[in-house]
Amino acid sequence: MFRQTLCGLLLVAASGAQAADTVKIALTGPFSGGSAPMGTSARDGSKLAIAEINAAGGIQVGNKKMKIEIIERDDEAKNERGALIAQELAAMSDLSGVIGTVNTGVCLAGDKHLQEKGITKIICPAAGSASMTQWSKAGVKDNSIFRFAAYDGIQAAMVVEEAINRKFTKVAVVFDSTNYGVSGRDDMLEQIKKQGNKLTVVAQEKFNIGDKDMTAQLLRAKSAGAEAILIWAIGPELAAVSNGEAKIGMKAPLIGGWTLSMSNYIDNAGKNGNGTLMPQTFIEEAITPKAKSFIDGYHKAYKVDRIPSAVAAAQGYDALYILAAAVKQAGSTDTKKIKEALEDLKEPVKGVIATWSHPYTKWDPADVTSHEAFRREQVVMGMVKDGRVVFGNDADRARLIKSATSVTPAKTGKTKKK
Amino acid sequence: MNAQIIGQMAVSGALMGLVYALIAYGFQLTFATSKSINFGQGELVMISAFFSLTLTNLGFPYWAMVPGGLLFGALMGLVVERAGVRLALEQKSEGWILLSIIIGLFFFSAAENIWGRDDRPFPTPISADPIHILGVDVTRLELSVAVGVFAIMGLIELFKRRTLLGKAFEAVSADRDAAELMGISSTRTVMLSYGLSGSVAALAGILVSPITTVGPTMASALILKAFSVAVVAGLDSGFGVVLVGMFLGALESLASFYLGSGWREAPGLILLILALALRPNGVFGKATIRKV
Repeated sequence: MFRQTLCGLLLVAASGAQAADTVKIALTGPFSGGSAPMGTSARDGSKLAIAEINAAGGIQVGNKKMKIEIIERDDEAKNERGALIAQELAAMSDLSGVIGTVNTGVCLAGDKHLQEKGITKIICPAAGSASMTQWSKAGVKDNSIFRFAAYDGIQAAMVVEEAINRKFTKVAVVFDSTNYGVSGRDDMLEQIKKQGNKLTVVAQEKFNIGDKDMTAQLLRAKSAGAEAILIWAIGPELAAVSNGEAKIGMKAPLIGGWTLSMSNYIDNAGKNGNGTLMPQTFIEEAITPKAKSFIDGYHKAYKVDRIPSAVAAAQGYDALYILAAAVKQAGSTDTKKIKEALEDLKEPVKGVIATWSHPYTKWDPADVTSHEAFRREQVVMGMVKDGRVVFGNDADRARLIKSATSVTPAKTGKTKKK
Repeated sequence: MNAQIIGQMAVSGALMGLVYALIAYGFQLTFATSKSINFGQGELVMISAFFSLTLTNLGFPYWAMVPGGLLFGALMGLVVERAGVRLALEQKSEGWILLSIIIGLFFFSAAENIWGRDDRPFPTPISADPIHILGVDVTRLELSVAVGVFAIMGLIELFKRRTLLGKAFEAVSADRDAAELMGISSTRTVMLSYGLSGSVAALAGILVSPITTVGPTMASALILKAFSVAVVAGLDSGFGVVLVGMFLGALESLASFYLGSGWREAPGLILLILALALRPNGVFGKATIRKV
């Protein structure tokens, strides 16, 4: 703690000298613990983009080129650490923006400090609905918090849709007892209702973080006749569910939140993970030249042959480019001006997931999608196959190739959420 | 509710319960000779599991990795004895309680720094595919736990009864001072018991890891259950821990099935309170008269 504070102080002191020639961007997230695959991938994706930008001389701000300076903080997926880090960042007078956070609870604990000071933050890749709806519930007029992730509303709709498309009728809804799991359950139940009650929920089962033995929950689901398991949880426990199924000879596939693509799910579940389905914003497959160069770049820079969480990495990469575009348009490192530029990005940003044209609009408390970049069309179904995530449906693959090469339609007529 | 599900829950619970029993047996070994137990036993389980995982990753085959892991566990047990227990015992103080906890915390930090905080899979050649026996699905992995637990407990008990060293062990357990007068070094015997206890912990780690994954916090839940088992059965109950361990495991998994997974721990805790109230020396323990 002391060391961190000291580092903070040193950074503040150091920045006095060089505030004029760098753009300071903070990258936060859990770089250790059960959520680490997402946290480190998002960070490393952003760093890859930063390295590219800096190698090209930096961002054009006004009449000079400025390099990006990184401030890195590990929140360990702990709410209280997240709050401390947010307070520290909020106290930095020359910070241009923040990208990060994996855990919805950490967003809820920390983002208020940034929002109070008007510091621009792009949440990436935390997907829980609450991290944006908290601002509409509070009715804030001016919001400096944006999100760059397929939020749970979209994901839950896709999960339910997929179960219906695969002709399942009886499902078990399984979730962990965190904010993320419980709100995921609520989203799924709401979607089942919304999509015409075609699925019967025969069992609702809960478990805690750290649980390894899911036999009881699975047996109840099995004896109730569940054909598929709709699930909202984090890597290690998801793996315990898949392994538990294998143990009791249950064949119901898991369909659930994008966390099912985390490496600690895929590795710990092994062959029991095959056939698991989850929404993805990016699949580690070189379907476009841009995707290929990103994947190769990541593998080379971090010496891996599989990105721990490809979705988080690609989102971290694109989010950084979007923020950089806003800095350029604002012509300033002032975080408030960057926020205004983000709400009205004039030039499309070419990312690895899609080409982002006008991803955000002016904050509207009645419509959180004004600060949400993702729409249904940028998300596809992924499937676990022999230790990797591949496209679940070939149609999605073709559609993505198309959308990556053409400009996504600008936001017209707001898509009302709920 | 149909009998098959009850059977399934009871059997998989009881097999997990054997791991609690094995760790509880590790408490018994040191308690017998020195009336002390290692409160950091869970960390011993964890760090030995990590060490065995490293051996596996280095390319050692399973049959070579197991003895390697057991040896490492024994060494760590000796470290605990030397650093935490011996001085306290010599001074007839209860300092070993705190010291063994502290050494455990040290192991925990060491593991976090060496191997990281993530849970990792533990590869094993034993298949995790279920076998169908009398309507109950059991995996070979779970059966390997049972085999391992009974094998090491059987071996250690044989050792205690059939070898000279083992008889010395028993003598010190029965009466330390009298054994000293007969020329048996109680210090060495206590060392032996901590070494054995460390090996037992290591085996528990190797057996349970393929089922639960390896991580710094893997043993924190196990160790509490093992304490309950040791207390309910009695710290000098011998094979009593096996019965209590299996019973507690089965009870837990039935509770999580019928009462909901949140209530999993409740019956075990009630059992613990009852045992402390009704049979403070344990269900299988001998009543001792303590001279004051």
